[in-house]
Amino acid sequence: MTGFVAVLAATEDIPTPDVDWSAIAPNLILMLGGILLLTVVSVVRGRLPGWFHAVWTISVATAAIVAVVPLWQRVQDSGPESVLAGALVLDGFSLVVTATICVSVILAALLLEAYLRRERLGGPEWYVLMLLSASGGVTMATANDLVVVFIGLEILSVAVYVLAAMHRRRVSSQEAGLKYFVLGAFSSAFLLYGIALTYGATGSTNLSRIQAFLADTVITQNALLLGGLAFMLVGFGFKVAVVPFHNWKPDVYQGSPTPVTAFMATAVTAAAFAALLRVYVTTFGPTYRTEWQPLVAALTVLTLVVGAFLAISQTNVKRMLAYSSINHAGFVLLGVLAASAAGDAATLFYLVAYTFMAAGSFAVVAVVGRRGDGHHDLSDYQGLSRSRPGLALVFTILLLSQAGVPLTAGFLAKFYVLAAAVESGYTWLAVLAMLTAVVSAFMYLRIVVTMYFAEPEGEPRRPRIPAAAGLAMGLCVVGVLVIGIVPGPLSDVANDAVSQLVAVGR
Amino acid sequence: MLLNQFLLLAAVLFCVGVYGVIVRKNGVLVLMSVELILNAVNINLIAFSTLWGLAGQVFALFVIAVAAAEVGVGLAIVILIYRNKRSIDIDELDELKG
Amino acid sequence: MLAATSSQFPVIPAMILLPFAGAALIGLLPRSRGDLFRPVALLTAVATGVLSVWMLVGFEDVARFQFQVNQPWISDLGISLHLGVNGISLFLIVLTGLMFPVAILGSTPSHDPKPYYAWLLVLMGASVGVFAAMDLVVFFVFFELVLVPMYFLIGLWGHGRRVYAATKFFLYTMAGSALMLVGIVATGILHQRGTGGPLTFDMVAIARDQVISRPATLWIFGAFAVALAIKVPLVPLHTWLPDAHTEAPTAGSVILAAIMLKLGTYGLIRFGLYLFPDAAVTLRPVLLTLAVLGITYGAVVATMQKDLKRLVAYSSVAHMGFCVLGIFSLTVQGIEGSVLVMVNHGITTGALFLLVGYIYERRHTRLISDLSGLQKSAPIMAACFTLVMLASVGLPGLNGFPGEFLSLLGAFEGARWWGVVAVTGVILAALYLLWAYQRTFHGPATGENARMKDLRPGELMVLAPLLVLIVFLGLYPAPMLERMEPSVKALVAHVDRNSDGFTAVERRYVGPAEAAEREGEGG
Repeated sequence: MTGFVAVLAATEDIPTPDVDWSAIAPNLILMLGGILLLTVVSVVRGRLPGWFHAVWTISVATAAIVAVVPLWQRVQDSGPESVLAGALVLDGFSLVVTATICVSVILAALLLEAYLRRERLGGPEWYVLMLLSASGGVTMATANDLVVVFIGLEILSVAVYVLAAMHRRRVSSQEAGLKYFVLGAFSSAFLLYGIALTYGATGSTNLSRIQAFLADTVITQNALLLGGLAFMLVGFGFKVAVVPFHNWKPDVYQGSPTPVTAFMATAVTAAAFAALLRVYVTTFGPTYRTEWQPLVAALTVLTLVVGAFLAISQTNVKRMLAYSSINHAGFVLLGVLAASAAGDAATLFYLVAYTFMAAGSFAVVAVVGRRGDGHHDLSDYQGLSRSRPGLALVFTILLLSQAGVPLTAGFLAKFYVLAAAVESGYTWLAVLAMLTAVVSAFMYLRIVVTMYFAEPEGEPRRPRIPAAAGLAMGLCVVGVLVIGIVPGPLSDVANDAVSQLVAVGR
Repeated sequence: MLLNQFLLLAAVLFCVGVYGVIVRKNGVLVLMSVELILNAVNINLIAFSTLWGLAGQVFALFVIAVAAAEVGVGLAIVILIYRNKRSIDIDELDELKG
Repeated sequence: MLAATSSQFPVIPAMILLPFAGAALIGLLPRSRGDLFRPVALLTAVATGVLSVWMLVGFEDVARFQFQVNQPWISDLGISLHLGVNGISLFLIVLTGLMFPVAILGSTPSHDPKPYYAWLLVLMGASVGVFAAMDLVVFFVFFELVLVPMYFLIGLWGHGRRVYAATKFFLYTMAGSALMLVGIVATGILHQRGTGGPLTFDMVAIARDQVISRPATLWIFGAFAVALAIKVPLVPLHTWLPDAHTEAPTAGSVILAAIMLKLGTYGLIRFGLYLFPDAAVTLRPVLLTLAVLGITYGAVVATMQKDLKRLVAYSSVAHMGFCVLGIFSLTVQGIEGSVLVMVNHGITTGALFLLVGYIYERRHTRLISDLSGLQKSAPIMAACFTLVMLASVGLPGLNGFPGEFLSLLGAFEGARWWGVVAVTGVILAALYLLWAYQRTFHGPATGENARMKDLRPGELMVLAPLLVLIVFLGLYPAPMLERMEPSVKALVAHVDRNSDGFTAVERRYVGPAEAAEREGEGG
């Protein structure tokens, strides 16, 4: 009833919340950066060189990362804060996800620059949409309210629907866009239905209030809430492509322009998992963990197994990576399932590591795809070790990292997740996960075998490696190796980045 | 109580929408089915707001706005496909397979 | 940098980093300087070998871990770069230091020398790391890391169905490691729960505390045992080995036989006995049975092989069976014998693969039926082959004998009936090797066989250190035994202390006073 009373009072004098602008600076930078780019370009019209958009985007994302740093200090010193009247929360977790999303924006922008030139597609819209989508992702990661989760998800998704369909001359790109759109809208609807039921059961959409409500009240008839939890899980499940809600992913990943695929695999995944974790682990974890854990455990099993086994039979490298990303989603889900501080940290670590692995892998795919973005068959990789030894080596390192070979980020990411799962009593799932990792490894080896051991038919092609794409790959390989060899800084950050909910007024 | 009837209506609408998304082949009809689900959500939200205060109604406004944006984008993609393929039958989209 | 706990020169990190640095150097050299790759690789490998010998000289005959280095790596998980050697790992590291220069000298790649030598050096660094690791995670890191260079060595420079063999090798081992990784994680977490202290993966701490409940240790030991049994390999998990051995290039086969297989048996000592003594005692019959099965099966199948390399590969299965038999006899003699077999099998099988490689280079076939009368055209090679083969058979006076004898002796003390069956393996070994020798080197020298060139002096020089060691270690194994004995005794005492089902037979070898004296040491 309090809300009602507040609204009645508000008819006389509408109370506007104090806005701490500095706390939402990263998000603002991304959003304004995107809008400003659109404005500038439409005013200056055509007098700007193509690289300007990319440089602008990268600068904006870098500025957002820079803005994260003082906020991180603030959170570490004085604890998490509630922002915008409890709509958003400023905690370590959201800041790390924010930085991750910005990193993936930078990597995708580097790829996009060369890609657009090669495909003769121009335009700042790609970058604008990417920045706006990233801003939606950041909103999702910082959300402290189910409404905000939904709005962030929509800002993120709608932009990506368009990005997926942006390659005007490729029908497959539009097909990917439509498929992503239909299933995305469908999943948003499920999520919304779940939110509505949860609201009905708890009387609030604010996560901290829901948490407090559940801690104080024992709901006798919780069918409504359980239904809400289940529907929301389906919604999130579609977004992160958990089996059985994964069918769109191979198609969409294959059809979308490759830099967009890289963005989807990194930023979208990270944002969606961040929201999933915040809703399920942080909000419903303390009280309703035992209810959702069996469900999530079942989904994890399916995701791990199906992702690994379906990947083997593919011959399109983009599809292979799509299925392997489903398997990776299973691993992240294992971290979520643990529902502990260690699980949260492991999830974050995995998301950051996967950002580098996936962005780098798709960078290679983008380069090998050549003009038309269509050469993604396994046979297009034949003899790559001879024609482009550096490219083959980069891809090998990234694939080995995805397979979880030590001294790469992938190994430690898996290690942290396993440790969290075992600690929470899911040892059997950890064993299963590692066995599916072996199956996935077979798929990665197929690519490596093709690059190194297969004799190319005819003259091997030498794909051109644009400088920007080369830089993106270099960053990813360095990231993967540095995280793999000196994980201390990242694991410290992941451990400090606790996901918390803060009630208004603190 | 009246609330249950609204919830029931919403559930029926939701099921109709889900059925439409799964069964319909026409791109535009699929979009309309998604709209049905969103409206089911709106009915739910407003029904619950009789119980918990106005927040639900505010949320419903958000949903309506977002749905409009979403449909705009969706229709644009459908038109793009129609230009390339002269068809908006979703089943005819078969470029991507594995 | 890495700080040694004693004021010594950090020899183990140097031995790991030196090959990696060499590999990096080769990677940085331009392709046009093709003449430099081999010298750089050789120099690095020899320098590492010299360091290992230096370590051997400086080693004290006591049970504790020496040359220890401990540097935190991933502090929130309590993982530290804890390295050290004791009497058991010492000789395996020296073996690594010996066999890599031999493998590099003994054969040249057919193409692409640059990545070939770089991968070999990476393999060397990782192998030293496995043997020196005292932290479970660090062990695993190196254990997995070994896979990658070996995969490329087989896949890029191998023969015939090399891709199939390389992929099979990679996946088999990785499947095992997957289980082991979960086992390691579970060990760390259960140990933390048991002690209530911080999370640690330190081998010594976990072995000392023994706080993990019995059912859990059985599971974890099982996970480790499967992973290591694949590596050893124990029948029925051995099927990757013949393929990998046969298709690998000569250097790959040498390293595979001499070093890689030892990772498994060494791991069984370190993890099986040292970490989970109780589970090891409980599950001993299973492993003994598999070991004996390996001995007889390997020998029988080797008898039937038509390909010389495959024959040697199956003989490895049999020899590694002796290792496992010795280890799980749980007697001092048995384990000492097992370590001896590991080292000596490395030397003799390495030499055998080199010789088969030389034959293949000359005749482009390894089929026994295509070869005959090589003795006439290549008498020196025949002499070398005779010596190495007799060592492999286990002829007294050569290095194959003491290890096998001690393993069997241990088995008779600790596991009599398994020992009895294993003896048949010794007889079969004589059969298949002598028969193969007879068919290839005796008989009429026809066609190509008559024109085959004998060993060149350079090739003989490569074999020479191995031949010398074969004779020396056969006649005088005492220096090895002396250095490993304290460690082995401490290990047996450790097992004795921490398990229920251990009978009085073993107690004879380590008195309670001696065991108490070594409290807190071992492994």
